[in-house]
Amino acid sequence: MMQGQEFNIGEMIFHHTGDSHELEFEPFGTIHLPEWQPIHIGSLTIDLSPTKHVVLIMLTGLIVYTLLKATAIGVERARKAGRAPHGFSGAMEAFVLWVRQDVAIGNIGHEMGPRYAPLVMSFFFFILVANLLGLLPWSSTPSGNLAFTGALALIAFVAIEVGGMTKLGFKGYMRTIFPPIDGLPPGAAIAMSIFMAPIEFMSKLVKPFALTVRLFGNMTAGHFVILALFGIVFMFGHFGVASWGIGFATALVVLGVMILELVVAAIQAYVFALLTAVFIGLMQHEH
Amino acid sequence: MQNLPAPFQPTLGVAIWTWIVFILLFILLAKTVFPAILKATTDREARIKKDLEDAERLRNETAAMVEEQRQLLASARGEATAIVAEAREAAERERATAVEKTRQEQEELLHRARREIEAERERAVADIRREAIDIAISAAGKVVGARLDAAADRKIVEDYIASIAGGARG
Repeated sequence: MMQGQEFNIGEMIFHHTGDSHELEFEPFGTIHLPEWQPIHIGSLTIDLSPTKHVVLIMLTGLIVYTLLKATAIGVERARKAGRAPHGFSGAMEAFVLWVRQDVAIGNIGHEMGPRYAPLVMSFFFFILVANLLGLLPWSSTPSGNLAFTGALALIAFVAIEVGGMTKLGFKGYMRTIFPPIDGLPPGAAIAMSIFMAPIEFMSKLVKPFALTVRLFGNMTAGHFVILALFGIVFMFGHFGVASWGIGFATALVVLGVMILELVVAAIQAYVFALLTAVFIGLMQHEH
Repeated sequence: MQNLPAPFQPTLGVAIWTWIVFILLFILLAKTVFPAILKATTDREARIKKDLEDAERLRNETAAMVEEQRQLLASARGEATAIVAEAREAAERERATAVEKTRQEQEELLHRARREIEAERERAVADIRREAIDIAISAAGKVVGARLDAAADRKIVEDYIASIAGGARG
């Protein structure tokens, strides 16, 4: 087994977690995605060619919409029949309402909560499905892509800041950057407030950055662990009979990590939605 | 950025696709899906609330009705007792009246019987006396050998008998 010596775990891991212009369905074949000419806007070069992650993002959107639309139809049908929904739509309804009540309204407040709840619910289900998709064979998780998590965090950032601005007004919003300092003479208070501004501004930026890195890190790390464990199979494949034992043990450990990943997928979706709601709520109640 | 491994290279293209897909999904969900689910839930909540209120109202009404029935029953029982007592009293009165009436009738009957006996006795005595006078006159006529004047003789005999009767009574 010469392959064992030539096998590079790091390369394999980066290859599988990274984005590409191909959808690999080994051993059945590979689909090559079209590559378009990048668009140049000033110094910016934008390549909108669909990649593996773009396909998965679209698939995620489609799955989330289909699931929730089916739920809505089931719930609506039950409503017309004058009873409570049961089965799939009943379970999904409870799920949706839990995210709405406990995650969104619970953290944003009863006044503004219902307004932001659809966004928080969309975040939750979108990220949950994206995370879970990564656990399927031939797949890869788009939430293991910094561009994906960053783009979502930016939406959350805009919701937090624009929401704050509309609620607090321009003057009230500026106070979140230049905090009023009590107990100092006027001049010193203004100086102190200006000194505090960069810190306040940083704290605003840190929130979406933390959202970005947390989701990306958790999802990527999980896949790294699974792929690294699978790498053991290839590395020790030349051990003859013993390789069977190694393969079996590795498969068992990977199974355990996979189960853990299922939990992590749900938790990270929850954490992203929860923190977005908490940040929106904090901003809404800023004085 | 270029020399970083693949997962750590964010590309603007993926970010833009993420925005397109997510914003589209968000709009679709917010417009068509979430309101439907929420409407059904609020409707159901309202219905359950209404059902509970109806049940509460019915329960109160039933309790009131039961209370009313109980009062009615109690008053009916009191009335029935009063009626029975009154009936008993009336019967008692009736009985007393009947007894009194019977007693009076009996008395009356007795009294009348006594009077009739008395009258009968007096008539019998008068009859005997007349008979005795007739015998006495006929006997005296035979003794004196002549027929005596009936009216005058009768007077004498009557007086005599009266004296005997007076002597006998005295």
